[in-house]
Amino acid sequence: MIVANDLRKCFKRPGVRKSAKNSDIVAVDNVSFTADDGSITGLLGPNGAGKSTTLRMLATLVSPDSGTATIDGADVSGDVLAVRKQLGFMPHNAGIYPRLSARENIHYYARLCGLGKQQAQERVGQLIEQLDMKGFADRRAAGFSQGQKTKVALGRALVHRPQTIMLDEPTNGLDVMATRGLREIIRQLAGDGHCILFSSHIMQEVAALCDHIAIISAGRIAMEDTLQGILTRTDQTDLEDAFVQATGSATTEQDV
Amino acid sequence: MSFLVVMVKEIVDNLRDRQTLFYALLFGPVLLPLILGGSLVASFKQLSIDFDEVSTLSVVNASSAPNLVDFLYSNNIDVVDAPDDIDQSVRYGDTLVVLEIPEDFSEALRNASPAPLTLHVNSADKKSSKASRRVRTILNVYEQTINSLRLQHRGIDPATFNALQVIENDVSSEGANGQLLASILPFLFIMSMVMGGYYLAIDTTAGERERQSLEPLLSLPLSRAAIVFGKYGATLAFVTLSSLLTAISVYTLFRVFPIELLNGQIRFDGATVTRAFLLASPLLFFISALLITVSAITRSTKEAQTYLGLMMIIPMAPFFVLQFLTVRSTSATMPYPMLSQYQLLESAVLGNKIPWHHIALSATGTLLGTALLLALASWLYRRERILS
Ligand SMILES: Nc1ncnc2c1ncn2[C@@H]1O[C@H](COP(=O)(O)OP(=O)(O)OP(=O)(O)O)[C@@H](O)[C@H]1O
Ligand SMILES: [Mg+2]
Repeated sequence: MIVANDLRKCFKRPGVRKSAKNSDIVAVDNVSFTADDGSITGLLGPNGAGKSTTLRMLATLVSPDSGTATIDGADVSGDVLAVRKQLGFMPHNAGIYPRLSARENIHYYARLCGLGKQQAQERVGQLIEQLDMKGFADRRAAGFSQGQKTKVALGRALVHRPQTIMLDEPTNGLDVMATRGLREIIRQLAGDGHCILFSSHIMQEVAALCDHIAIISAGRIAMEDTLQGILTRTDQTDLEDAFVQATGSATTEQDV
Repeated sequence: MSFLVVMVKEIVDNLRDRQTLFYALLFGPVLLPLILGGSLVASFKQLSIDFDEVSTLSVVNASSAPNLVDFLYSNNIDVVDAPDDIDQSVRYGDTLVVLEIPEDFSEALRNASPAPLTLHVNSADKKSSKASRRVRTILNVYEQTINSLRLQHRGIDPATFNALQVIENDVSSEGANGQLLASILPFLFIMSMVMGGYYLAIDTTAGERERQSLEPLLSLPLSRAAIVFGKYGATLAFVTLSSLLTAISVYTLFRVFPIELLNGQIRFDGATVTRAFLLASPLLFFISALLITVSAITRSTKEAQTYLGLMMIIPMAPFFVLQFLTVRSTSATMPYPMLSQYQLLESAVLGNKIPWHHIALSATGTLLGTALLLALASWLYRRERILS
């Protein structure tokens, strides 16, 4: 379970002096939401809204300027190792090692998470089965398609059986069939009781998959509810219109 | 022991990279020693004269001086007929040198007046000069023999005419020449260390960030120190391997082509190379740390290559600076990494005695530098800016 409270993060504007006015970019401002176990939570927002920055703060990669967040009770700015043990994080880009095979890529992460050689091998075997990677498991990753890369990255994120799983735009570059396959896997994981946080800028995808939606725009959470809740609150029938309504203007995307 | 997992992975990963392998296993350890050592051996062979080697000498009018021909023959020189156009032939290198004996040679000898001899040589051609030096040396001995025979004939002790007997005793083991030759070993060692770890260090730090595999790695439940030390360990392994191979190839090169440098003052035998490697060994740690830290500071592999490329000048700097300035090996220079190893290795090659406190100071200074660099690298990896 993820609980975020008033998270805020600024970055220095590159090439601008610290003392100058406007020297900071506010990437995330007062972001609060919760994601429950056994359900899929969507973080929906346009490019530059602050989705990746929020996930990075939750993954203890960057520390929030203010605000707090806990993953299964562990504080992201306090007990970072406890947080990382609970968490499987798949960043925006697959970032796998091209000279290692799919199996070796996942095995490396298994060993880093403290699994013994034997255990690691077994776990990697399970994941290859579960994510249907048998066809390319022992090929070097250099020429992998986007879908194959995503599967390896997902396998890596799941290798230590984390309770909480965060995926940053996982369907990027996937075709229809691959996207469907991925959705199926995500639903299964939620069915097994995992907490899933899923970021995307695609409304249909969030509408199709998520039980719970947090709309983020210009670094702020504009609305947080179930799909039905958001539609009723904005008095719309379509998430896209609801989104425009919730973020207050149609120009949000150009703003940021 | 997560750092071991990181280390093993980086080694396996980079063993699959041709570029890394080329620089670690071929360039530093094989190509550089062959180029530098090979040209040394070659130029040495060109300059030194082997008086035992049998060679031929073209002589004009050999029949006028049968004694001289015999003397040449007893000095391993076979006399052959000279070509028709002497100058042409020597200029174009068909004949190295030609000795011309005039008709009146024997007569002049008999009359005890200076007997003329002409030696045709092409001084622009190294081989021709070398051959002419050999002939002149033999002619000098011949002349001295005749001189002492004449003096003895007249009842004079030939030693009377040797007013001076100058004995040259060159004690400068740090002569300019000797130092240049001796500094080849530290140069090769340091270059092979840098080249051995160069690509691996870049690939595992700046390369990892560029491939965007750093972000998921840093979100794993393991300490940043384990990551830094794993990458450091992998670099250290390659650096060590590369310099070990260099030691072996230098030893082999001078074993296959044994040459006597500076009257045997300079040696590249097994004991010397081993001693030099041990003296240089603290540098393995230092150079690995330097490579890792510099490429962790940079933002991309391109930038890392530029920085480290500039850094290549550092191992070369002592090589050139020490040629012009005589920086004595003192306790003051010993704490500096690279500089001290240059001096220690030169001493080792020249067979000089090295004080123990110099070795201790050099190792301590180098390892302290290593610790500082590793602390810096660990700090860099704890900052969130490492991601961007
Ligand atoms: N390291 C950084 N340095 C400077 N600015 C940053 C940095 N990271 C993010 N930003 C800025 O913060 C804002 C939010 O970025 P973020 O990557 O979180 O957006 P996002 O919602 O993930 O967008 P996208 O859909 O394009 O991935 C952007 O304006 C971005 O330029
Ligand atoms: Mg993003």
